[in-house]
Amino acid sequence: MELANLYQSINLIIPEIVLSIALIVLVIADLIFHTNKKIIPFIAGTGILVTAIFVINQFNYIGFAFSTATHTARSFGMLAVDSFGVFFKLIVIVSSFIIVLLSLASDEIQKTTDRIGEYYALIYGMILGMFFMITATDLILIYLSLELLSLSSYVLAGFTKLRDRNSEASLKYLLYGAVSSGLMLFGISLVYGLTGSTNLYIINTLIQNPHINLFTLSFATILIFAGIGYKISSAPFHFWTPDVYEGAPITITAFLSVASKAAGFALLIRFVKTVFVSYETNEGFWSLIEVFDWQSILVVISILTMTLGNFSALWQNNLKRMLAYSSIAHAGYMLLGLVVLSNQGLIAILIYFMIYLLMNLGAFLVVMLIANKINSEEIDDYNGLGFTSPLLSVSLAIFLISLTGLPPTAGFIGKLYLFIALVDAKMIAVAIIALLNSVVSLYYYVRVLKHMYLVKATASTPSIIPSTSNAILLLVLVVPVLIFGVYFQPLVEFAKDCIVILGI
Amino acid sequence: MEQNLLLTYLLFTPIIGSVLVLFIKQEQKNLIRWFGVLIASVAFVISLIVYFNFDASKSEFQFIHQIVWIQSLNVSYYIGVDGISLLLVLLTTFLTPLTLLSTWSSIENNLKMFTFSILFLEAGMLGVFLSLDIFLFYVFWEAMLIPMYFIIGIWGGERRIYASIKFFIFTMAGSLLMLVAIIWLAVYASQLTGKFTTNLIELYKIAPTITQQIQGWMFGAFFLSFAIKVPLFPLHTWLPDAHVEAPTAGSVILAGVLLKMGTYGLVRYCLPLFPQSAVQFAPLISVLAVIGIIYGALVSMVQTDMKKLVAYSSVSHLGFVVLGTFAMTIESVQGAVIQMVNHGLSTGALFLLVGVIYERTHRRDIAYYGGIAKIVPVYSTALLIASLSSIGLPGLNGFIGEFLILLGSFKSQVLDNWWYTVFAASGVIFAAVYLLWMYQRIVFGVVKNPDLKNHLTDFNKRELIVLIPIFVFIVWIGIYPSTFLNLTEAASQSILNHVSSFTFDFLK
Amino acid sequence: MLSIPIEYYLILSAFMFIVGVTGVLIRRNAIVVFMCIELMLNAANLSLVAFSSYHGNPVGQIFVFFVMTVAAAEATVGLAIIIAIFRNKLTVNVDEINIFKW
Repeated sequence: MELANLYQSINLIIPEIVLSIALIVLVIADLIFHTNKKIIPFIAGTGILVTAIFVINQFNYIGFAFSTATHTARSFGMLAVDSFGVFFKLIVIVSSFIIVLLSLASDEIQKTTDRIGEYYALIYGMILGMFFMITATDLILIYLSLELLSLSSYVLAGFTKLRDRNSEASLKYLLYGAVSSGLMLFGISLVYGLTGSTNLYIINTLIQNPHINLFTLSFATILIFAGIGYKISSAPFHFWTPDVYEGAPITITAFLSVASKAAGFALLIRFVKTVFVSYETNEGFWSLIEVFDWQSILVVISILTMTLGNFSALWQNNLKRMLAYSSIAHAGYMLLGLVVLSNQGLIAILIYFMIYLLMNLGAFLVVMLIANKINSEEIDDYNGLGFTSPLLSVSLAIFLISLTGLPPTAGFIGKLYLFIALVDAKMIAVAIIALLNSVVSLYYYVRVLKHMYLVKATASTPSIIPSTSNAILLLVLVVPVLIFGVYFQPLVEFAKDCIVILGI
Repeated sequence: MEQNLLLTYLLFTPIIGSVLVLFIKQEQKNLIRWFGVLIASVAFVISLIVYFNFDASKSEFQFIHQIVWIQSLNVSYYIGVDGISLLLVLLTTFLTPLTLLSTWSSIENNLKMFTFSILFLEAGMLGVFLSLDIFLFYVFWEAMLIPMYFIIGIWGGERRIYASIKFFIFTMAGSLLMLVAIIWLAVYASQLTGKFTTNLIELYKIAPTITQQIQGWMFGAFFLSFAIKVPLFPLHTWLPDAHVEAPTAGSVILAGVLLKMGTYGLVRYCLPLFPQSAVQFAPLISVLAVIGIIYGALVSMVQTDMKKLVAYSSVSHLGFVVLGTFAMTIESVQGAVIQMVNHGLSTGALFLLVGVIYERTHRRDIAYYGGIAKIVPVYSTALLIASLSSIGLPGLNGFIGEFLILLGSFKSQVLDNWWYTVFAASGVIFAAVYLLWMYQRIVFGVVKNPDLKNHLTDFNKRELIVLIPIFVFIVWIGIYPSTFLNLTEAASQSILNHVSSFTFDFLK
Repeated sequence: MLSIPIEYYLILSAFMFIVGVTGVLIRRNAIVVFMCIELMLNAANLSLVAFSSYHGNPVGQIFVFFVMTVAAAEATVGLAIIIAIFRNKLTVNVDEINIFKW
């Protein structure tokens, strides 16, 4: 029986095993080919593709791995494999693959040839951490995966060591990260003390007991939220974001802003759904255990997050930093999908993530290609680029318009579904605050367009023509943003297939 | 349901054209110009075919084409025309080739992008007028913002950046509120009928059943978005900036068609979707409209910049349209629709005329000119006709629209107060004052600046080709308005019938 | 057999945690901040062990082993980063490490 369980569990974590093997291969390859490291990125890319195949194989496959529970008839595991998890793993895998391609195109990364093996190994560490975060249903695993992700990304944030700002980003990331994981750990210890278990499902059944100490439980969950909120950079744990995003190598910034955030969201959603939801109504609304008012707290956090993000972005002159604030704001929008506590909201989040992946990575890709040439990310240095570098500028314009959420780009669809979920849950006031935020965001996104197009080009304006491979990569990101803006049925269908969160 | 592809061809001609323009080499400027004019003319021809096959006696939508677009939201690509939208479609397709012609020599840099923007804009405007699906409508409504932003921002005047951003933010703020209202409507429909829908024809039946208080909010969200676009006093502040800074072509499109989208939205969405609220708020809105009429006129009077003067006169003229719409009598609504076209023609003509002399002298301040009658007699005549048409002289188009609106609002049961008419009528008098005064200062008197004689020349052939068709219609509407009134009568009547069927008690 | 009540452990743990948090907030030396973070982790460890013995199940103790490993890894990475920044700036005072506004 035990052996059967183990065998089945190993079946369920094949993607993670493949990743670990690839990680080891990478490290060994780094030792073997230490004179010619050109092969390393290809190993990394191949490893990701192979993992992707195994992840896709998991689709529609449901089950718990490493069951531990003994005191109830049903057994729950450390990991849950379900379509929701597969969705977020795919988001992570796709963005990792794009990041590998981005790294090949980045001057910043290519300069560090001698350490390129470590770079990809650490990225693999991040991916592994995220995979476990996405599937974890046990507080121990949640903590460990969070730390695996964090430790790898601390190092990567300061990886190039080229400029002071690199190591400064790294240090700030580390200090904030360590503090929030410390808070989270203390919260976990309190939850364990209250319930005597670290399994989310068992905690769910135990806290339905009316004699539970509500104050301690609320306090503990707020502490746990500190750890997760730090990963998704939601207010008030967002302070690290702008500094780290600006200071880190741009490939890592892009990775943090998409994949790491996706993993954080997957964890948050799974945590809320499995711990605090007692049942689902027929209309797909989630009924909360009346521990304390999670919903209002989430509303406040999400409004705070998007408002702080948007208003701070208004004053930024560095495009990378501006995109950091914009990614904070987007985390706020996505939290709205959780706030409504319904399947409709979950679908909205999933749709938003698919689109966010394309447009955010795209925007960072353009910023990187421009920075490769002019060695600057200041918006003032973009003056007149619209006339000298048409492909890059048009793409950036499309990505920014999509981030604003205007039709006919995909960003509009993301916002649309969020608003539908909000209106469906009768939260009109929240919807209006969110759309006022969109208007604010319009101002700073359009400011970039203004510098590119409305300021006339001068003789010193550089003309930047990306290499063929980079242009193809760019088009691979731009074209879907436009197509999904007009025809988004496939996105919706896919998202609908992916809302199964393994529950009791 | 009978499918008809004609409108789809009309809608996609400029879209495909705008994409094709991108493949022409930047250096081949004349090819780009000709191509742009050609595409816009093809669109005009298609719209004429629609016009000649249109049955004006029916009030239903015609040339309907419907394809399921997004199944999960029950959104479809659903287009069709009735008399009101057909008239505005014709106005759009008529003005677009003319604006492209008018910029033949004034736009030199980034011509390709300019042509792209104008054609894309045309597609957006046509989409707004043709959509019978409220979601489709919203997509077109928003998609138009971006090309207009670039038209003002890249080819505009000195303060173009400020003006373009102001335009962008104002209109977007309004339209996002509308988005929430649209979603609310669709969700409401799904609760009522079990099916999510954005089909306008179905929503016409569903929306009036919303309880009065919520309907007020919905109406407010739609109205605000349209009122910003119109623009209604006190939301008009973006308009003078945008007009003054936009290039001539931008001003013509802006005045000619873009503003009509706001008034069209009032007629097509605000009235039939929320009839009770429309009747309830009609007096308040009419007060704002009348204030707009007088305020716009008074501010026009003190302007020293010709373009700004014409821009403020738009605020005044569009006040008439809003008044006509919310007076809700058959005369006033038809007057409002005709006035939309009139304003497009006469204000468009005025902007073109200002553009003509600006191109030659690069000055727009009235004080600079004087006595140009002797230098450019043909131009002076054209300016006179355009001004008189804008004032509303009998025999020209402006008179028909304003007269019908005043007549209708006088008889209106909804407003039930003739003071609206009295104050609105004073707007006509003010219009005569500011336009004729401007005309007198520019055209008559002694030539103040000797420069003028060197720079100012009369129309060239291209400019005549642009202006003559506009003047033909200015006179045509003035002398024989039935051509146009017949077109819109059935549609206006059916909207009013729809409104009164839900608000019988109010009208008693 | 007389045993120490769980409250004692918890009070000590809470005290350590508060000391840790306060230290993080008010100290400006990166290394001291780091030590305070370790203090927070150890506070959590203490309460985990205490709860483990209170509930009579081993999960808490297992957790503590993992946390200790993580803390060691974190300290390694952290010190490496602090050394890297010290080479660049010749300081470990977080107030002086401010190319970015905080």
